[in-house]
Amino acid sequence: MDWRFERVAGPLGSAAMGVVWDGSGVLFTHPESHRILRYDPQDGKVGDFRKWTNGAAGLAFAPNGELFGAQQLSRRIVRYNSEGSTMPMAYRFVGLPYHSSFHNMPKHLAIDAVGRIWFSDPAPRGVASGPPLPFPDHCSVLRLEQPPDRSWVLKRMTYDTTAPAGVALSGDGKTLYVAEDAANGATLRAYPIDADGSLGEYDVLHHFGGNRHGKFRGIDGMTVDAEGNIVAAAGSTAAGPGALIYVFTPRGRVIETHPVPVEPTNCAFGDADLTSLYVTTIDGSLYRARDTGRRGKRT
Amino acid sequence: MHALDVSHTAPGFERFVPPGTVLDTVASGLIFTEGPVWQPKEGCLFFVDIRGDRLLKYTPGKGLATVIQPTGKGNGLTLDHDDRILCAGWGGRTVWRLEPDGAVTTLASHWQGRKINTPNDIVVKSDGTIWWTDMINGIYIPGMCTEDVQRYLDFEGVFRLNADGAGMALMADDLITPNGLCFSPDEKLLYVNESSQRRIRVWDVGGDNTLANGRLFYKDTFSEMGVPDGMKVDVEGNVYCTGSAGIHIISREGQLLGRIHTPEHAANMAWADDDWRTMYITARGIVYRTRLGIPGVPHGHANRKQALAMAGKGDR
Repeated sequence: MDWRFERVAGPLGSAAMGVVWDGSGVLFTHPESHRILRYDPQDGKVGDFRKWTNGAAGLAFAPNGELFGAQQLSRRIVRYNSEGSTMPMAYRFVGLPYHSSFHNMPKHLAIDAVGRIWFSDPAPRGVASGPPLPFPDHCSVLRLEQPPDRSWVLKRMTYDTTAPAGVALSGDGKTLYVAEDAANGATLRAYPIDADGSLGEYDVLHHFGGNRHGKFRGIDGMTVDAEGNIVAAAGSTAAGPGALIYVFTPRGRVIETHPVPVEPTNCAFGDADLTSLYVTTIDGSLYRARDTGRRGKRT
Repeated sequence: MHALDVSHTAPGFERFVPPGTVLDTVASGLIFTEGPVWQPKEGCLFFVDIRGDRLLKYTPGKGLATVIQPTGKGNGLTLDHDDRILCAGWGGRTVWRLEPDGAVTTLASHWQGRKINTPNDIVVKSDGTIWWTDMINGIYIPGMCTEDVQRYLDFEGVFRLNADGAGMALMADDLITPNGLCFSPDEKLLYVNESSQRRIRVWDVGGDNTLANGRLFYKDTFSEMGVPDGMKVDVEGNVYCTGSAGIHIISREGQLLGRIHTPEHAANMAWADDDWRTMYITARGIVYRTRLGIPGVPHGHANRKQALAMAGKGDR
């Protein structure tokens, strides 16, 4: 079935990201203008949800309704509290010398059923605020979690990624999907989450490859639908099959592709029955395809 | 200890930095030092390690001691007329006073119902009023604020409090990254620097403490590392401001006289010792000490009066 994408917001001139459905509207980020915007499908209006975000990119809701974001230029995950304040989460690895203990610039995040925040921490993009602090010698998927004392602890979860982008969790919470934008080709990986919460050996679900025109653009952001399929924003017009929304089965079979007018950065199901797909793009637009024949996962 | 490196720009710079001047390292191994202020009664230098989240004191001959920890990533320090420490709270987004019994009193936290930015540096005028810069950067720099990193005010500025901590007033709201601030010796001028703009601005201070006639005073046009941050004056009214390479010494007319080069980035400085010719310099993980040619105008009401009286500029 064909999806018809209509632009409902933008273009803002530079990439929009971090799209999430908040129950009655769509939140998305515009890092360049340091804003989180909200699109209301009832009246079609777009307004500021949060200002002064310092380059916030990915957004995600926790099961308890709390909203978290990746504040790229401040090199940390933050929680956007409902009364308007913004709380920084743990931003340092335990047990390292002070200056070596900060992570990179977080980009995408996914929150599991017990509230652990999984996020990609790729190489810096742009200049971080303040006097320069060193960056770690790895680009990994990290996790914020709360021990019984309710403090937040930062942990490194992957030791085999070089450029992690989108992250998503399977419906049963037993698999972590990671888009890895490696120099020799972008892939979609599936890591088993072991009973102790650590990650096992990954399987490659899809290899995006390349040709004489260049490496094909892999997945930027992705989500998981109610059936457990991975719905991913990938591709470009520069090389390969084009700017697309892919639908992968949990084993990696490509069951659908849908052309998007502009290179997509992320996607999320929305509207009352969660059957519309909202897509953010590199030109700062928010697109919507209604009646996708698929349905988002209720959180 | 090694020879102090300088670059001369104007003739006579030897009067500021006499030949043979050395630079001592009195503390090292800290993370990010700032807010130095000399307390003659105890004969010690108070300062903060912002990232180490500590307020410390250095006593010559005794060494370092932690005064309080944590500080909420406190930044600039000064002394009020009762010699209590006042702190530009930076990461904690307040201005606070350390009481003699160790209690902390919050003096300012909100402006017109909204949380202020991140107070960076602070100074007390001879009438007891408390002035500070409210820079935004503390909420954005990784590792500074630990509670709330949301910005609420749509400006950065300079605020003033009465001596008793009441009567908060907005003195200037058109600054970009306001950082160091100081008054001229006669307190008829207020200097405020803007780090990201690499410049110092100056205002006339009226008898009713209002500011007028804001104008550019100095622009740091060098390319070495370092930005305008901490700023002090000497008894002749010359301005000492951190900047590229270290500390710039600038005449009252805004002309660069010369630069003191520091091996580490200087963030702030304080006048010290009985003749007020010693300068302590906080520079990243280090605190330096050197001896200069012209006495400075120190923080602390009695200290300032003493320094100006010795220089024949009393009754100010």
